[in-house]
Amino acid sequence: MTASQPSHHVRAAIPWVTTVARLVLGVVLIAAGWLKIGNPSDSVVAVKAYRLLPDSIATTVGYGLPILEVVVGVLLVVGLLTRVAGVIAALLMLAFVFGIAWAWANGLRIDCGCFGGGGELAAGQEPSYLLDIVRDFGLVLLGAWTVWFPPGRFALDSPLGLAGGERVLDLEEETA
Amino acid sequence: MGKGDRQKSARDKIREQQAADRKREQRKRVTTYVTVGVIALAAVGAGWLYAANRSQSEEAGGALAPITVQADGGVVMARQGVTKPVIDIYEDFQCPACKQLEEVSGQTFKNLAAEGKAKVVYHPITIFSQDPTRGNSIRAGAASRCVSDGKQWSAYHTLLFDNQPSETAQGFKIDDLVAWGKDAGVTSPDFESCVTSQKYAQAQAAYSDKIGKEQKIEGTPTVKLDGRPLDNSVAFAPQQLRDQVTGAAK
Repeated sequence: MTASQPSHHVRAAIPWVTTVARLVLGVVLIAAGWLKIGNPSDSVVAVKAYRLLPDSIATTVGYGLPILEVVVGVLLVVGLLTRVAGVIAALLMLAFVFGIAWAWANGLRIDCGCFGGGGELAAGQEPSYLLDIVRDFGLVLLGAWTVWFPPGRFALDSPLGLAGGERVLDLEEETA
Repeated sequence: MGKGDRQKSARDKIREQQAADRKREQRKRVTTYVTVGVIALAAVGAGWLYAANRSQSEEAGGALAPITVQADGGVVMARQGVTKPVIDIYEDFQCPACKQLEEVSGQTFKNLAAEGKAKVVYHPITIFSQDPTRGNSIRAGAASRCVSDGKQWSAYHTLLFDNQPSETAQGFKIDDLVAWGKDAGVTSPDFESCVTSQKYAQAQAAYSDKIGKEQKIEGTPTVKLDGRPLDNSVAFAPQQLRDQVTGAAK
């Protein structure tokens, strides 16, 4: 009794934590994508500034990243395909952590371009790599939580019967 | 048929019914899942196409409009008698966004001038204040001033952006600057000595300061149409850029 009660509370809290994680991650992604979406060329310059990808691939990524962020962000906020969206969001954030660490390790002086802008910093400006990495790593954790405990409260997945992400497809195999 | 058998078959029927229901539910769920997934993918694809489309460069048209290298370092590209609208391009050979502008919209500037729809003025300035970027930019800018023929200048201008060095290392080395001049077909006999001695380094720095203050340049590239700065979302979108310029001509 004394042991089961706290664990019951914890279990009841999990879906709410997922909801908060989804909202934070989703809103950050939407904001980041939206601020970049109006000017694809700026976005391409920001990606090229990392000197991590060949120019042609950097261009493709620069065009696609803002819209991908917005779409995944919207899926997370409304709680649709929660698990898949969580996986993509977490992988995106991991890639950003890697990219920023790369820029830092290679002595580049760039703006991460996370929320638009990007490219070489002007004189007197200092890069904020550590802060960027800590923020993005925190978002990786939120993504991981969402993948582990989908879809949380207030998720469209639930009324549509999609709660549990791919588990839908697993059940299909069982019943078949 | 005994009572037990009847009950059994009824139970079976119910069980079959439930299994069928579950299967139908399941199929519905998979359909919903796939539908939502496809819509999301389509949205990403459409957004990518839109971005790529906006940044689609124009095809090279016919011959370039006449190009005149002015004494102060500005370079005018316009057909005879075309005086407006005026497009001023403030750019730095070392700045990555300027390279991007040249890649995306460079051809549109050339076409608009060739069609007589605008007078284009290039202002190669040095915006950087710290080395190695400042040194790189000054060397390149000074070298470009050694080219007095307009067509050759345009070819050299393109080559400088194509060969833009990293912002963290010394680049635009003197030997390279001389070699690219040969590639661009620069014929003036004193080009090499002009680049090697950095004859115009001082002029490049002074011009940059003057232009920066007079035109209130906060960053490069800055594109102005009849004196008003164009938003980057227009300058980097060839179709919109063309519409805006032809609109200003009316």
